[in-house]
Amino acid sequence: MKKKSGFRGIIPLIWDKKCFRIMRLTILFLFVGLMQVSASLYSQSTKINLDFRNTRVVDVLEAIENQSEFRFAYSAEYIDLNRKVDLDVKGKNIEQTLSIIFDGTNVKYSINDRHIMLFQEGKSAAASQQQKTVSGKVTDSSGGPLPGVSVVVKGTTSGTISDADGNFSLTNVPANATLQFSFVGMKSQEVAVANKTHINVSMQDETIGLDEVVAVGYGVQRKSDVAGSVGVTTSEQLLKSSSFNALQGLKGKVSGVNIFTNSGNPSGNARVIIRGINSINTSSNPLYVVDGVQMSDFQFINPNDIERIEVLKDASAAAIYGARGANGVILVTTKRGSGQGDGVTVSYDGWISVGVLAKKVDLMNAEEFMKMEDIGFANFAKYPQSAKYAGRVVDRSDPLLFDASGKPLYDTDWQDEVTRDAVSHSHQLSIQQQGKTSSVGAFVNYTDQEGIMLNSYLKRMNVKMTYDANPKPWLSTGMNLMVNHTWANDIDETGGGQTARRTMWEMPAIIPVKFPDGRWSSSQFTGNKLNLGLEAMSNPVHELTTRKMNRFKTKLFGNGSLTFHLMEGLDLKTQIGVDANLNKDKNFSPNDLINISSPNGSANISTYDNLYWQEETFLTYNTMIKKHRINALAGLSWSQSTWANSNTGTVTGFSTNFFGYDNLGAGTTPAAPSSDWNRWAMNSYFVRGSYNYNDKYLATVTARMDGSSRFGMNNHYGFFPSAALGWVISNENFMKGISWLNTLKLHTSYGRTGSSEIGVYSTLATISSGTVLLNNGRGASTNVARLANPDLQWEKTDQFDFGFNLSVFNNRVNLDMDYYHKLTSDLLLARPIPYTTGFSSVTDNIGEVSNRGLDILVNTTNIKTKDFTWETTLNTNYNTNRIEKLGKNNEDILTSPGFVGGNVILRVGESLSSFYGYRRLGTWSVAEAAEAAKVGAVPGQAKRSAAREIIGKGLPDWTGSLINTFRYKNWDLTCDLQFVYGVDTWQLYFHSMEDRSGIANGFATILYNGWTETNQNTMVQQIRQQNYAGQDSQADSHWVCDGSYIRGNLIQLGYTFDKKALTKYGFKKLRAYASVSNAFIVDSKDFLGYDPEAVSNGDQFGQNIFFYQYPKPRTFTFGVNVSF
Amino acid sequence: MKKILYFSALCLSLIGLNSCEDFLKEEPRSQISVSQFYANAADANSAVNNLYRNGFPSFYNASVYAGTTAMYGGYISGLFDNQYKGQEKIVQDCQNLAVDPVVNNGNMLTLWQNCYIAIGRANNAIKYIPTTPGLAAADANKLMAEAKFFRALNYFHLVKMFGGVPKITDPYESLENLYIEKASVADIYALIVEDLKFAVEQGGLADLPMPKNGYRISKGSASALLADVYLNMSGAPLNGNKYAEAATVAKSLINNSNYALIQNGSTPETSAYNTLRTSDNENEYLYVIEYDPSIANGSARPTFCFPNEAATWGEFTYSICNLAYRPVSQILAVYDKTNDLRAQEKQYFHTKYTFTKGARKGETVTFTDVAPYFWFEPNALYTTNKSEKDQAHYRLAEMYLIAAEAIAQSSGVNAEAAGYLATIQARASMNKTKAEITTALMALSKDEFIKEVWKEKIRELIFENKIWNDITRTKMYPTVKDGVFTFVPLVGATNPWGKTFTEKNLLFPIPNDEMQRNPKLVQNPGY
Repeated sequence: MKKKSGFRGIIPLIWDKKCFRIMRLTILFLFVGLMQVSASLYSQSTKINLDFRNTRVVDVLEAIENQSEFRFAYSAEYIDLNRKVDLDVKGKNIEQTLSIIFDGTNVKYSINDRHIMLFQEGKSAAASQQQKTVSGKVTDSSGGPLPGVSVVVKGTTSGTISDADGNFSLTNVPANATLQFSFVGMKSQEVAVANKTHINVSMQDETIGLDEVVAVGYGVQRKSDVAGSVGVTTSEQLLKSSSFNALQGLKGKVSGVNIFTNSGNPSGNARVIIRGINSINTSSNPLYVVDGVQMSDFQFINPNDIERIEVLKDASAAAIYGARGANGVILVTTKRGSGQGDGVTVSYDGWISVGVLAKKVDLMNAEEFMKMEDIGFANFAKYPQSAKYAGRVVDRSDPLLFDASGKPLYDTDWQDEVTRDAVSHSHQLSIQQQGKTSSVGAFVNYTDQEGIMLNSYLKRMNVKMTYDANPKPWLSTGMNLMVNHTWANDIDETGGGQTARRTMWEMPAIIPVKFPDGRWSSSQFTGNKLNLGLEAMSNPVHELTTRKMNRFKTKLFGNGSLTFHLMEGLDLKTQIGVDANLNKDKNFSPNDLINISSPNGSANISTYDNLYWQEETFLTYNTMIKKHRINALAGLSWSQSTWANSNTGTVTGFSTNFFGYDNLGAGTTPAAPSSDWNRWAMNSYFVRGSYNYNDKYLATVTARMDGSSRFGMNNHYGFFPSAALGWVISNENFMKGISWLNTLKLHTSYGRTGSSEIGVYSTLATISSGTVLLNNGRGASTNVARLANPDLQWEKTDQFDFGFNLSVFNNRVNLDMDYYHKLTSDLLLARPIPYTTGFSSVTDNIGEVSNRGLDILVNTTNIKTKDFTWETTLNTNYNTNRIEKLGKNNEDILTSPGFVGGNVILRVGESLSSFYGYRRLGTWSVAEAAEAAKVGAVPGQAKRSAAREIIGKGLPDWTGSLINTFRYKNWDLTCDLQFVYGVDTWQLYFHSMEDRSGIANGFATILYNGWTETNQNTMVQQIRQQNYAGQDSQADSHWVCDGSYIRGNLIQLGYTFDKKALTKYGFKKLRAYASVSNAFIVDSKDFLGYDPEAVSNGDQFGQNIFFYQYPKPRTFTFGVNVSF
Repeated sequence: MKKILYFSALCLSLIGLNSCEDFLKEEPRSQISVSQFYANAADANSAVNNLYRNGFPSFYNASVYAGTTAMYGGYISGLFDNQYKGQEKIVQDCQNLAVDPVVNNGNMLTLWQNCYIAIGRANNAIKYIPTTPGLAAADANKLMAEAKFFRALNYFHLVKMFGGVPKITDPYESLENLYIEKASVADIYALIVEDLKFAVEQGGLADLPMPKNGYRISKGSASALLADVYLNMSGAPLNGNKYAEAATVAKSLINNSNYALIQNGSTPETSAYNTLRTSDNENEYLYVIEYDPSIANGSARPTFCFPNEAATWGEFTYSICNLAYRPVSQILAVYDKTNDLRAQEKQYFHTKYTFTKGARKGETVTFTDVAPYFWFEPNALYTTNKSEKDQAHYRLAEMYLIAAEAIAQSSGVNAEAAGYLATIQARASMNKTKAEITTALMALSKDEFIKEVWKEKIRELIFENKIWNDITRTKMYPTVKDGVFTFVPLVGATNPWGKTFTEKNLLFPIPNDEMQRNPKLVQNPGY
């Protein structure tokens, strides 16, 4: 049998250049979202205009492709492409046009949406065979009819396309022939006719199909061609979580991408760490690239605008971003005008949610609090410091708080008072218009997110517009403009001050929110006789009601590109992008908030703007020569970022709270104003070459040369190369017989990326200028701020990656696994130098950190029937992190939080973010009194190790998620569980909740688990009225608990209405859903806070170390997705 | 082909858009690079101004829980307590004589690092002042004298706290010579004396009390420090016998009419000690650390006068009170409770408080412990929440005491020495004249007289952080023995917390951090 190149569906495997281009274009279209081909009327509504004289057919077809989305597939062998035609077509549809072109020839065509097959009439291979008619029905995996499927007799050009009901009929089929069924987005199938006259075929979705394309930075590649490690998430998955922040939706979706949600505050940002922390002093944040433009403050972007997210994880993928790629790259593609079918699609996505306090902490109520105080007073004699007070009793005579019998008048539940049911909502209206040669998208969003702590909120208005066009056969253009304004009232989440997130626990229950006369309460009252010595605390409700921490942010983000189609396969693209962030912070704290801003009040306004622009120009060349597919890229880039800040200075001395921050002149004491400015710039050159031989052997080489102003004079430019190899074993002939194996691809990469995120001007010795008090005024003051280091350069991360993709059992089980080993050297370290120099450190390239681990992604379709499917995705990352070298002499470095003896220690051989403190060995027993006295302790006090040691770590070994999706008819159910394992949490609030009893409220457990003569075998110290008896508090191992948890991240039930029914009412799609996020959390019994994942110190190493936290809500959401 | 050419041209033009050299050049605008500095007189001035509030002067910065760094000496003497020592572990470790280079690394660093920061900045000024264009010779001299004063002040503190330390006299401008060995105590003192002699003799500094000299270092400031340096060089560990020099320098201030002791007014409220508490501009002040309500306020200092329970009284604008530097009964025994004005209520101390407002207005509460009154600042406590009282580090009274001791040590007990001590005692005496006191003092043996000076120093300067300096210099520990306030050898003495001093307690440990950073350092003995 003649086995020449023939049709293999829409994507022809005819190895000629021309067709390769067609295929590439097809892929591009798939990429922008044409994967679901709707049964549209494109072919009828699209009008063709042609005016050609004596022109080859091939050029006419190209002209049609250029002015429309039609793409031709044909075999050059059977179609005379060089035949010259004369044409004058105006406003005709494709069918009419084709009938003119091929009038009088034996060329036939079949049109399937935008895809047109050309074939020769009556051409058949072997006439000697017995021939007959074969018919049948093609269905999709759910059993629904599948129209538009190409059905071709293998090895011939004879074929047809299934009709609207999925039926097909082919005549003159040899009895021993094989039929090939193919459809975009589905796996092609071959069925032997074997004398059958009726053949039914069920097409399977090609979930990890060969033809899926992924963004790889400066373009896209077929996923099958990618030899590096790239993770993908789509809009649908991102939006499931109905959250303000897109990173929330990304959580758990890509293995190796760990997203820590450290706060329930709407303004709280998520922390992203890809394959471990690489660095000590520079940022561990990935690089965000949105539509090709680097973006800062990604957390404010509207998640509804995102079409898909690719995460470049290994060196091969990230090296194209060179000196900024070491932390991984998050590539975001936003929605555009095309993608929802023809004409105009209007869609609305909205949700409303209610967030509630997910958990309440067991604190002492009024009765327990007074009992604890009585015990504290009774214990006076036991402590040397309070022995002289022995015999004193709690004074209950204050009529503001106690009744005549001394019982507390109030029993305030501060957790209830400070939190609320937070109602949030979001509305997104999208208008997408697909024209013949252009498309326009308009997207409007309003999101109002309330926090569960009073008065905290974050709101966003977002407008986005896109315009894409192919105005000339040689030119394409695309533009995108986004205006994003957010405004918020923040809540203090840092530091150790008595602010609401602390006082909502520490304010004793005996104190009311307000006194009967309407006055706000606090822990201090005029004329108060309470002799407890309560620590000074503002009432948290008072604070949250009157204090303002307003944040305003306007982001203007846009880009425009021109693509010149220079010649076959060769494009030149030039793109400019702008990311402008205009920020204003306005703070006011009134003059009656005790221990916060009384008696003077304070107000401050600061403005800071960040303007980033980039210009990038690059050439891409794609070609296919026989079985060799080549994809090449070369380009250059300039970018610059300037940052300017001006701060009014903090004004205090407000006699009235009337003005807030709106009349700073009303304050009597202004602090000196300040302003600051800095700039960095980069100039880069990059190349990439990808090679694919016969879809079996893959190779990619990438290199980028980056020049950064931030590096020292002696090292302006850095070079970042990488290489990757892939082997698609399943495409080897010797594997063909293994029917259960669909894909097996091995890939490995090695390369180098960098981190240039050192502070600007770090290489220079600079003079710091300010003022000091001198002679009752301000005297100018200057000092040398740092030592110069002109040799400074970027951090280098060398990364090795080895992985495989495996799909088996008809793609029902897919496994992606990657092992990686990263070694970051030349760490930009604040290298400790002797303090005798007058400096504490110099920024230098010293030190090494390694990360090694596994990324595992398992996708299974457990059950698949006509009505019911059950799919499972398990997504995990194991990472282990080790400091290999530090400084000149491997000195330990102590960092945050520096709180009652607790620090994070950086020590060679240990994980970054190791907790460093004393080990709690227990409590001193009565029998050990003499031994205790040696360290100045008495029985009932904590017994600790003599020296500090490493007592935990804040970065987890395992992170991941397990997502189960069930579909039954129109119903879908998602259960998204997220887990973290092998991590510790340091509960610094034990300092005041356990160790400093008596001056504030604390855990109820101290009453029941605290040391007494009859309960000596306990970790919890004896109740000790701190005000008189002092305290014994050190950040020790008793405060550390297992930080592992399992979280009910999202449970969602959705219903998608039948298309047929909807069409009647003019809908294209309607889905309604209800969900619960943060539904539950299973954590250590030793964890006494709200959520074991939080931070108080926003730095690199403070993960899971916190002193109180903004509780994360449990959120109930109802939402709809409608399109018309 | 035309379009290809066109776009190739465009492409090339984009490449030529910027000259890369300029594009990647770093030019800070809100900071000055070192090469641009010391360009004029103002630069030199501002570099010296910086020294007024960094290094040793920063040890007076107060925090409500921790007190001040200057109080560490009081804590390790065991004679002062802090109500919040439960969380301020350094206080406990000092009192327990358990200061450790690892455990107390951070606190030791505060002592060590701040001094060297200031020394580095002073070295920078000393190097560049002579070559600063536009700086008149007289002005250059004054600035040089101020810079050298501060370098000496910081080295003096280092040598007292840590013994011999690396001697660095040039500013660091590259990564050369990072690791420097300790110099001897004598070498450090030699540098201090050289710097101070320059300041006193060649600096051209005004011979005025510091507040009258625009709060700039005066000849009086430098002389006061030099007198103290000579006194300390005479004691442990150098035992360099510079008593005569100490006396000479101290007397040069006592005998200069620009300086004068504060005199008692007619009422208890206008006593010298209350004037000391309330007035910033007195001729007694030789070197002060300045505070101001709007630029640099003295923070929590006024709250050190009240026990922490006072926080709930609703009386004060401060939310937290803490007896951060409470003298224990052993040291209070130094006072003659009936005849020493300083020991009377609302002079240096107070023991009770009368409410000024609210339901308890007029009610008086008595404290369990004697509390300092020294930092009582009604305006800050009741109204502004900002302490503005300057803190004197050297005042003329101390010069009288230095002179008295130095003369007695070098020439024996004579009328001059007795007169100086009597001047200070008479100001505080409620029942004796200066003449009566002088006569009595003349009858003392040399040893008795010197101990009387030490006692007087404790009485006069109890809240001025001098105690540990005198204990380590004399190696004698003030204590109460058989009901009598006296001095016993420090090594072997037991503090009120039951801990016994050893030789190692004379010095603090070098912070572990610095030991790691500089392999050439040798830890102080015993640590």
